[in-house]
Amino acid sequence: MPVEAGHRFPEKTVTLDPWRVGLYVEALGVAPEEGWAPEPGNPVPPGFLMYVTMYGADAVHDSFHIDFRKAVYGGMDAEFFAPIRVGDTLTVAPFVSNHFTKSGSRGDLTFVELTTEYRLPDGTLAARERSTTIQRG
Amino acid sequence: MTDPTPTTPPPLTTPEISRMRLAYMAVAMRDPNPVHVDDEFAKDIGLPSVIAHGTFAVSYVGAAVSRHVGVDNLRRLKVDLTAPVFPGSVLTTEVTVRGTEGDLVVADVRAVGADGTEVARGEVAWVAGS
Repeated sequence: MPVEAGHRFPEKTVTLDPWRVGLYVEALGVAPEEGWAPEPGNPVPPGFLMYVTMYGADAVHDSFHIDFRKAVYGGMDAEFFAPIRVGDTLTVAPFVSNHFTKSGSRGDLTFVELTTEYRLPDGTLAARERSTTIQRG
Repeated sequence: MTDPTPTTPPPLTTPEISRMRLAYMAVAMRDPNPVHVDDEFAKDIGLPSVIAHGTFAVSYVGAAVSRHVGVDNLRRLKVDLTAPVFPGSVLTTEVTVRGTEGDLVVADVRAVGADGTEVARGEVAWVAGS
């Protein structure tokens, strides 16, 4: 059985490695601020905070029975509450905030909404990100 | 405190989203989805080629705003993906300020391809006066 809404994945502790953040910005070819460099203490580009990047996709996708042949990423909704810096160590805790199936003329669509909370070492909630994946069947 | 005349982040025209950028992104994100790197896989599921990670459109919209107001002043980045983005694409972001809500400026955002196809749309909010 796939996981249900409310399911919480185990917390992980993740350090925002400058090399990896730098590679992400190099892939984009656009820095988050003029003159930005991937050095400890600099702001983390907001798009980097996704569960795939910060938590790892496999454990989550296996739980949903995500099949890449049928699934698409629908988008994200992130809120930012406190500054996050390159080099920070965050506690990352995803949970299934919604999980439902819609029946349409071309078959069923399953929506999986995963909400991930990012906390600073003192427990401050720094960001909350909600990602939606949609799967046929 | 609210800003009565919030300034609008200018459009951001992205670099060409080349296959090399997709490869770098796959590694940076550790994204296991072969649809971004394997043409055969993409064709098997009915696509003409690999497609860009959704992260590109999301991140370019975020960068268009953060380059204008500063990363620390961004409070919300909501982006729905509305069409696939193929290698070789160049996107342009559009930000339209709706107004202020409390101490935040709220704006609609879009990203469109060179042919005008909308690939992403959503909403952003940042601290007024930033």
